[in-house]
Amino acid sequence: MEINIREYEGGKVIAVSGEIDLYSSPLLRKQLMVFVKKKESPLLVDFGGVSYIDSSGIATFVEGLKGVMSFGGRMKMFGIRPAIMEIFSFSKLDKVFEIYGTIDDAADSR
Amino acid sequence: MADIGRLIVNIKVPSHPKYLSLVRTVTVKVAEISGMPKSVREHVKLAVDEACANVIRHAYRGDPGKSIGLRYEVTEKGFEVVIDDEGRKAELEKIKGRDLGKVKPGGLGTHFIRRAFEIIKFDGRKRKGNRLRLIRQRKDGKWR
Repeated sequence: MEINIREYEGGKVIAVSGEIDLYSSPLLRKQLMVFVKKKESPLLVDFGGVSYIDSSGIATFVEGLKGVMSFGGRMKMFGIRPAIMEIFSFSKLDKVFEIYGTIDDAADSR
Repeated sequence: MADIGRLIVNIKVPSHPKYLSLVRTVTVKVAEISGMPKSVREHVKLAVDEACANVIRHAYRGDPGKSIGLRYEVTEKGFEVVIDDEGRKAELEKIKGRDLGKVKPGGLGTHFIRRAFEIIKFDGRKRKGNRLRLIRQRKDGKWR
């Protein structure tokens, strides 16, 4: 798994790629918590490069979302591949996470 | 399924999370050889990954110096994975997935395992550690 951070229209984008599992999710959690601590919002998560996610990866994002919501912020995901989306849907988390097709859709949403 | 008869594959990996990717690769490859469609293979891959992650977290409590044995068997009846560890005994009454309607970290792995396999059972005859048997059946040569 790789994590890259970039700016987009004044907000932070976390671009995650590769496989998110029990091995890699602690690194992702650490990065998400840095942004939670800094109260970054909206936090845009680029899922375009994510090829796999397990329950530990999902739990990491749930924790990140709760952290962001604790200060009234928002976390928005975009670019999720169908195979990953299927896992979110099965977990009923597609109703919990803010999910958009593109970065522009995510950034423009109110 | 291609006419391969009975296929058995055994692997043993250290109980370090970095080897889960190896488990996933082998699982998908064996499933592919069995003729399983891609959508089913993905479910099986995730389920076996979750079962091994449970061994690392719960049976071995994060100790990376132990080992996990996996035995795959493909027959005309189905796809079976037997996962062996030498760790703490699983507390069966505590193994239940979280209510999917509740949003909280954790508790999803069990749901992923149940989605992929029709038969899930711990072998009570094993004295030390756990032996988890996961079976995906097929009927008339077709995957359910």
